[in-house]
Amino acid sequence: MAGSHLSVVIDLSPSQWHLSSLHQPYPLDISAFISQLLAFLNAHIAFKHENTLAVFGAFPGKSTLLYSSADPPAETPSNDANYFPPLKLVDSTMMHRIVQNLETLTQNNGDDKAPSALVGALTKALCYINRLTLEFNAATTNATEGLEPLALPDSRILILSVSPDQTASYIPVMNSIFSAQKLKVTIDACQIYGPDTVFLQQAAHLTGGSYIYLERRDALLQYLTMAFLPPPSVRQTISVPTQDKIDFRAACFCHKNIIDVGFVCSVCLSIFCQPVPVCSTCRQVLLTKFPFKTLQRLNAARSSLPSSPSQPRNSSAPSSPQKTNGRTPSRTEAPLGPGGLPHSGSISLNNSTTNGAISSR
Amino acid sequence: MDSDSDISISDYDEQNLSRSKAKGKGKATDKDKRKKEKAKRKPKDVQAYTWEANFTRSWETVQEDERGSLQGAVDDWMVRGRRKRLLAPQNAIRRTIIRHMVLLIDLSSSMMDRDMRPTRFAVTLQYAREFIIEWFDQNPLGQMAVVGMRAGVGERISDMSGNPQDVLKSISDRHKLEPTGEPSLQNSIEMARNSMNHLPTHSSREILIIFGSLTTCDPGNIHETLDECVKNKIRISIVALAAEMKICRELCDKTGGQFGVAMNEGHFKDLLFEIVPPPAQRGIIPRPATGGTTATAAATTANAAADLMMMGFPTRLPDASPPSLCQRFLCPRCLAKVCDVPTDCDICGLMIVSSPHLARSYHHLFPVKPYTAVASFDAVPDPSATSSCHACSRPFPTTAAPPANVGEGMSAIGRYRCPDCNTDFCSDCDVFVHDVIHCCPGCSK
Repeated sequence: MAGSHLSVVIDLSPSQWHLSSLHQPYPLDISAFISQLLAFLNAHIAFKHENTLAVFGAFPGKSTLLYSSADPPAETPSNDANYFPPLKLVDSTMMHRIVQNLETLTQNNGDDKAPSALVGALTKALCYINRLTLEFNAATTNATEGLEPLALPDSRILILSVSPDQTASYIPVMNSIFSAQKLKVTIDACQIYGPDTVFLQQAAHLTGGSYIYLERRDALLQYLTMAFLPPPSVRQTISVPTQDKIDFRAACFCHKNIIDVGFVCSVCLSIFCQPVPVCSTCRQVLLTKFPFKTLQRLNAARSSLPSSPSQPRNSSAPSSPQKTNGRTPSRTEAPLGPGGLPHSGSISLNNSTTNGAISSR
Repeated sequence: MDSDSDISISDYDEQNLSRSKAKGKGKATDKDKRKKEKAKRKPKDVQAYTWEANFTRSWETVQEDERGSLQGAVDDWMVRGRRKRLLAPQNAIRRTIIRHMVLLIDLSSSMMDRDMRPTRFAVTLQYAREFIIEWFDQNPLGQMAVVGMRAGVGERISDMSGNPQDVLKSISDRHKLEPTGEPSLQNSIEMARNSMNHLPTHSSREILIIFGSLTTCDPGNIHETLDECVKNKIRISIVALAAEMKICRELCDKTGGQFGVAMNEGHFKDLLFEIVPPPAQRGIIPRPATGGTTATAAATTANAAADLMMMGFPTRLPDASPPSLCQRFLCPRCLAKVCDVPTDCDICGLMIVSSPHLARSYHHLFPVKPYTAVASFDAVPDPSATSSCHACSRPFPTTAAPPANVGEGMSAIGRYRCPDCNTDFCSDCDVFVHDVIHCCPGCSK
């Protein structure tokens, strides 16, 4: 039986790692993180001889391959009697490339405030798995017989993130999730520092992986080995933490409110929290205007809704107590949803005056 | 004397053959012989219809190059996809995301013909299944119904549903669908039309007909039905399995649908899957014109199709909630339990979707720009820095392929470049990015 493939996407944003190293009570700096990560990667390699590994780094504004077992580096590290050579190869190659990339980052004087290119790294990981899948299928007789291509057994992507969600990357992240579903790849996610990310929660949920928010940052290695080391085929028999609460409600494009009932443009699928006469997303390109009759009808329908969409439904929503990390769910910390429009804090949403909002256009 | 027996004596054979030709109607053994003869007369490079072909020589369609490699033939297939992508319109086109389709399957006795193995009927059912899965994958907000044409009437097989499992289940039992009698285009189109009359204008109304017969038995004038369909903006597409009929061609042309005659199994599947991507909306001027009058005209045409829809985003019930038959989602308006999304709430009729379903349709609206093929090494500024594919790190070939193997739209050095981020990708990644991910790994958008 073939081994399992693991692609790791690590978020290497210097500013976020700096903040993480200062965060009390459990600071974790990047060197401690990398040493724990290397131990985890070594465990994966040592687990089974056929196991394969690829590591992708997401630096600010750029993503790159750090290590892959399909294209080993030309220079082999010097022999060390106390070190299993494949492990040494992983460790030295990864360290070398991380340092190299961080150095070019400082040389270029590029602003390290740029958000890290998690999407780029994630799509690269998917392309890499696609390549392995093609090679796997070419090796079997399957391709020549014209049968459906087989999925690579037991392949997964682990995302180790320290950055918050970027609203602009919503569509690419969702596209990546759907391609992972097509390739039958499990996405695991671990948020090491910063707020919960809704995108990674959805990625893990939709692909059958697990999402963990790291409470005790000093115990990273334990989390990694307990939750993410077993390949997906073994997961059924051992208990891996899954999240129970997952928010599939959308945020409107106009005010970024999380809504229950929204109004959706039939052309571009933008979501609004109140009936609007013109679609703000696609009016430039496609001249989308909505008929006035619809507005009247929807306004009438809206007043009959039992709960107004803009009110947080913490009390009515049957959310079970958090099992994985015990934090109380709060709506205010997860206002991220689809769309790329900046949050307009000045607009206060007033439910009773929807007609005023329309006439102001 | 009838020529039914398997007589193998040569002079009898001769006699039978001539007689059956004269009658224009032969028995199975004679037919086979005629087929063989016909196939022999045909030049080999012309793609024969299934009923003319003796047997498929699939290995002959693949040509080895001088080194005995099949790579060139494989590349040709990929290039076909590339060219199609390049021909696709560049700028934002408006597509109908909310689709409603009625799948009309011919269940007349002509579907028992064996020109497709094992029968047209079996092949149709299998491809219909694959089509439904792919269609719902690409159109998560779409709804589909299935109607059968059998014994002169239209027969409702499944109601309009947004759940692929419901639709698949309805055509899973082939014994209930056993083909009999004559098909009636008019009856079944009328049935499909009536079931789509109430739909809102922003959604598409489509009928896809898989038609195996060469006749239709209609109670009235089918041209009136056609006019009604045009009036109701119903788009009819037909995949014919036998031959082109004038009325079929007319139905498609007048309603803006696609018409095709399947030559063989593979072509049949291609024709079906052409219907899968959402159609571009007709009668829309995509760019705002500078002149005042044209701009308003464009605005009014756009106006007719655009609409605001009310949708509910359901609450997912936690796994620990008390057990019930349907315990997955709650309708946000009436708090009724629904089993699966997307759907319309059974109680209050609100359209219920989850945000990933909306997101699944976004790639039709924001497609990735096609990559350009890099012609030669002169166009690569720094070959040592970009020695491998930007996405999957597969090393690029270091020597150019001989020009004989390079088709139009292919890169001799196996590099395909994104026009935005100027990074190079291998051909596999090019296909994967445009067909599956819909997001360029270089520019991450």
